[in-house]
Amino acid sequence: MTRPISKTVNVPVADGDGERYTLKMGPQHPATHGVLRVDLELDGETIIKCSPQVGYLHRGFDKIAENRTYAQSLILTDRLDYIAAMANNVGYCVAVEKLLGISVPLRAKYIRTIVCEMSRIASHLLWLATHALDIGAMTVFLYCFREREVMLDLFEELCGARLTFSYPRIGGVRQDVTRSFIDVLQQFVAEFPVHIGEYETLIDTNRIWLKRTVGIGVLSAAEALELGLTGACLRGSGVDYDIRKHRPYDAYDLVDFEVPLSNDGDIYARYRCRMEELHQSARIIQQCIDQLPPGPIISEDAPDLVMPLQGQRKVEAGSSTYGTGLIRLLEEHGQYPVGDIYVSTEVPKGELGFYFISDGSGRPYRMHVRSPSFIHIGALPALAEGSMIADLIANIGTLDVVLGECDR
Amino acid sequence: MATTNPLQKALDKVGIEYKPTEFPNCGLHCSLVLEKEQIQPLARALAGRGFFIETVTAVDRIKEDIFECVYLFNHYDQSQRLLVRVPLPRNRAVQPSIGKIFPGAVWHERETTEMFGIRFDGCPDSRNLLLPEDADFHPLCKDFSGVS
Repeated sequence: MTRPISKTVNVPVADGDGERYTLKMGPQHPATHGVLRVDLELDGETIIKCSPQVGYLHRGFDKIAENRTYAQSLILTDRLDYIAAMANNVGYCVAVEKLLGISVPLRAKYIRTIVCEMSRIASHLLWLATHALDIGAMTVFLYCFREREVMLDLFEELCGARLTFSYPRIGGVRQDVTRSFIDVLQQFVAEFPVHIGEYETLIDTNRIWLKRTVGIGVLSAAEALELGLTGACLRGSGVDYDIRKHRPYDAYDLVDFEVPLSNDGDIYARYRCRMEELHQSARIIQQCIDQLPPGPIISEDAPDLVMPLQGQRKVEAGSSTYGTGLIRLLEEHGQYPVGDIYVSTEVPKGELGFYFISDGSGRPYRMHVRSPSFIHIGALPALAEGSMIADLIANIGTLDVVLGECDR
Repeated sequence: MATTNPLQKALDKVGIEYKPTEFPNCGLHCSLVLEKEQIQPLARALAGRGFFIETVTAVDRIKEDIFECVYLFNHYDQSQRLLVRVPLPRNRAVQPSIGKIFPGAVWHERETTEMFGIRFDGCPDSRNLLLPEDADFHPLCKDFSGVS
């Protein structure tokens, strides 16, 4: 893909003779993607100081999780990044599996990789749709939602939910995939590159889109690292860091894919990275479908929610609120492992990490969620200060944040 | 022989012994317990070597009457995750801020301050972040039992 030639963008420098005023943008502003308020100090249209105010969705996950078993906390992760809940579920399950020492059957690993990449597609499509809508390219919104709908329909077929799935379980997945699911997905993956081409024709030659993305919101690799950015925001600045490659989990080490990079560090670069990621996601799904092995979909050791997985495992439903699998683990190992563990996975937004401190009681002594959106909103002042107020909208969009994940 | 491990280099520079841990078991390459005076020199040594801050948080060890301030650093290229724990007395928990070394740490420190009441000395911004601006309770402390 050749890159359009960037014209120098003259950012107007605040002249200092205008009157400074503060503007509170949000929390109901449509371009802030949820309940984000940004306090701005302005000189004319130039942002002198930008201070994001978050916490409107703070529900205290860390505290709630301390009073629940590991299996019960799974449903909380749906409410983090609700755009890509599958990826959050998988991230949580991978972390708990590592803590409890549960190994996952190969088929479940493949299925989880498929749903992770499906949620990446769904998340990136929503990002592209709203980002483009925010900065004046409206048509692409409907095109993106057309494909996103297919993903949500497939999720619904898989687990009955379209938003909060809780489909991946500690030790595997809840149900096996059906033949029709695979067929529809296969067809989707085959056609998807054509659809990506459609979005690109709509915006890649669109003068408004290029004017508002090329050379705007530039972050160097060093700045992006200092701010702790991850995901496409970091890769758009040329840093090759993708957990799927660096510390593979599930079936990522069994499939072939590339990590798209761009060295320019502007909004356009991050857009290109995410568009290439869509291609790679389709590639990963195709490989997973081709390689999908037969076998069990959940580990025998898997702790369960109170409702048992009928017919999937030998263990019968217990009467305890712990669930059968946890009782088994407790009996076999005496107690849960003690210690601390940090496990991170690559969700669509960046690096999602779970830090557990286990005291052996079956409930985390402390759980901390390292959510990418939290760090990315923290980086907003670095992007926005000194730029025009209109570019703030583009900058919020390019960071790809979800406030549910930021506030936790 | 000189090491090529960026984490070991950084630790050598500030005179801290590098003790590797079993990465596959806990997701960490090195886990250290340090004094609070050591955190700023360590952060400076890490900052120039491709490390970034993954998170800052804390744990309330109420039985031992301490807070543990927890730092996670990672290297983007070589996958070297470092966990640092700094024990602080519960009644006067003050910790030097690394917000000026890693700008990304400021929000983590703000969150830790409001959730635990640990003060970060020299943090560029110490307002409440997730809690209401007038909240004076610290919900992640183990002795917190709700607000009336």
